[in-house]
Amino acid sequence: MLKGKLKLSAKAPRVFPDRIGSLVSGFDDKEDENGESDSALDFESGEELEILQPSGAGSGREIEDGYVDIMEGQLESRVRQRSEKDGSGLVSVKEVIAADEKRSDLEYELSQKEINLEKLQRIADSGLPEGRGLRATTWKQLLLGYLPPSRDLWEKELTENRQKYAKLKEELLLSPSEFTRIKEEALDSNEQNADSDVDGPLRRQEISHEDHPLSSGKASVWHQYFQHIEIAEQIDRDLQRTHPDMKFFSGDTSFSRKHREAMRNILRLFAKLNPAIRYVQGMNEVLAPIYYVFSTDPDEQNAANAEADSFSCFVRLLSDSVDHFCQQLDNSSVGILSTLSRLAELLKANDEELWRHLEFTNKIKPQFYAFRWITLLLTQEFNFQSILRIWDSLLSNPFGVQDMLLRVCCAMLLCMKSRLLTGDFVANLKLLQHYPDINIEHLLLVARDLSPDTSSYRLSP
Amino acid sequence: MVLVLAIGDLHIPHRASDLPPKFKSMLVPGKIQHIICTGNLSVKEVHDYLKSLCPDLHVTRGEYDEDSRYLETKTLTIGQFKLGICHGHQVIPWGDLDSLAMLQRQLDVDILVTGHTHQFKAYKHEGGVVINPGSATGAYSSFTYDVNPSFVLMDIDGLRVVVYVYELIDGEVKVDKIDFKKTATTRSAH
Repeated sequence: MLKGKLKLSAKAPRVFPDRIGSLVSGFDDKEDENGESDSALDFESGEELEILQPSGAGSGREIEDGYVDIMEGQLESRVRQRSEKDGSGLVSVKEVIAADEKRSDLEYELSQKEINLEKLQRIADSGLPEGRGLRATTWKQLLLGYLPPSRDLWEKELTENRQKYAKLKEELLLSPSEFTRIKEEALDSNEQNADSDVDGPLRRQEISHEDHPLSSGKASVWHQYFQHIEIAEQIDRDLQRTHPDMKFFSGDTSFSRKHREAMRNILRLFAKLNPAIRYVQGMNEVLAPIYYVFSTDPDEQNAANAEADSFSCFVRLLSDSVDHFCQQLDNSSVGILSTLSRLAELLKANDEELWRHLEFTNKIKPQFYAFRWITLLLTQEFNFQSILRIWDSLLSNPFGVQDMLLRVCCAMLLCMKSRLLTGDFVANLKLLQHYPDINIEHLLLVARDLSPDTSSYRLSP
Repeated sequence: MVLVLAIGDLHIPHRASDLPPKFKSMLVPGKIQHIICTGNLSVKEVHDYLKSLCPDLHVTRGEYDEDSRYLETKTLTIGQFKLGICHGHQVIPWGDLDSLAMLQRQLDVDILVTGHTHQFKAYKHEGGVVINPGSATGAYSSFTYDVNPSFVLMDIDGLRVVVYVYELIDGEVKVDKIDFKKTATTRSAH
């Protein structure tokens, strides 16, 4: 399977062979009509484009044979824009129509006065279409519970939350100098540096019991600031490493720096508000898709407030899995180890042979490979587009993100069954830690079809 | 927000063995961005210790310094401020404000940091500010044995400097704060 990334200007000509004739060009026109390609071009120039994966034998899709022959020959050289709807390889008019229907369904749902959460979840589960900010709106609004179902309240909620965020930022991200200055100005606004023009000894103010830079008191603003600097440095380092292949995040353009700055604020704020878990390496990866989706929203107001919205949604998303990050809770019933054993149980219930092979023959424990899968919500295992697609399903699951997450992890194991069964410890571990590319729709299909054991693992307090 | 430590006249090991423990516990690496040392450390070990607190260290030569490679005077720019360093034994009369003002004009700096008198001083004089961090170890000076250990931490934030003075009086650390703003008229025109 071909997979690679080329950097081309956003307006790269599409190489459609004339042989295909009216069908494909019909598709071409359709796309332009939708104007969707334009919205996808709202990225700054230099956005990367993907070479399509020609879906080979393992896709499990129904494809008309005629198409396969012609397409496969051309696919190797074709470059598509990211407006590809469901991330799979083929262009077929049927798919386009289906995708269009889905989009209008989605738009219809979102335009209702009272959003039907269930319907939205179902549509989202089958993959959200790109463009026109639909994904941003859907994720934001309902899947993460950020916006209430009633459409009228959206405006109010949004502005309230955004203001709250701005206030939080002001309070918590201030440097101690500014903090003390503002405090002073509030206290003695009448006191002036009248001695600015007068020579002589400068006036001293005794502050032995107040705050000073070398204070090590817990309540000292300075002390907290210095403690936080270490975290801030760690966050910075991680941000530099986020998705180095994407111009949106990495590189030295003011564009990417602006985004990293926004993400840094969000993560620092989160660390300050949650002293129990602070910042853990990898949180930047969980934040990245959310922030990306929100700031590429064609709606200008939404995009401008992407930072505030991402913060709230990030908090909501993490609150689900926050226990996984807390080291003390590792061995408890809510910690990561318990979740990993649930994964093992799920595998056992669905494919005992594979489970036995991994557990006993290979002696591979879920900790060795699934730790990252679960804590980082699979952001490190797939390419960016696949992550967005998987998250569509994760976020839309009526039983919660964790439930679907475990299913997807289990499905990942099942999809690799044949290779795993023939591999030894080293080979299998290598395979699982560098999970190969597979058809995402197939993966999600398998995940959905798993026997629903996890419903019995609902944690009741 | 830049933190600058002004310290000097430690006279280790000749007149004092070490910094007071209360000072030592406060001075930890990672907080300070620059260190300005007026001189008379006097040995390399002290230099290394200060270097461990902050890699950006500026030292001028005092008359008892064993390292003869230190300069007599130094200037540096931090933020909006120009700082000058000189040990002060070269400026006669010692501690005289007018003579120090001459040195300040010569170096063309906003804040002049000198030592030698082992006495903390912060003066505004003839358009510039003179700061003497005193002796960090409380070593006896050429004038007197009665010296309180002291040093100075400056917080340079834009056009404003907040000077925190740390003094050890009767075994207790006393902290004072001085505010200083740089205005267009602060520097005397010539």
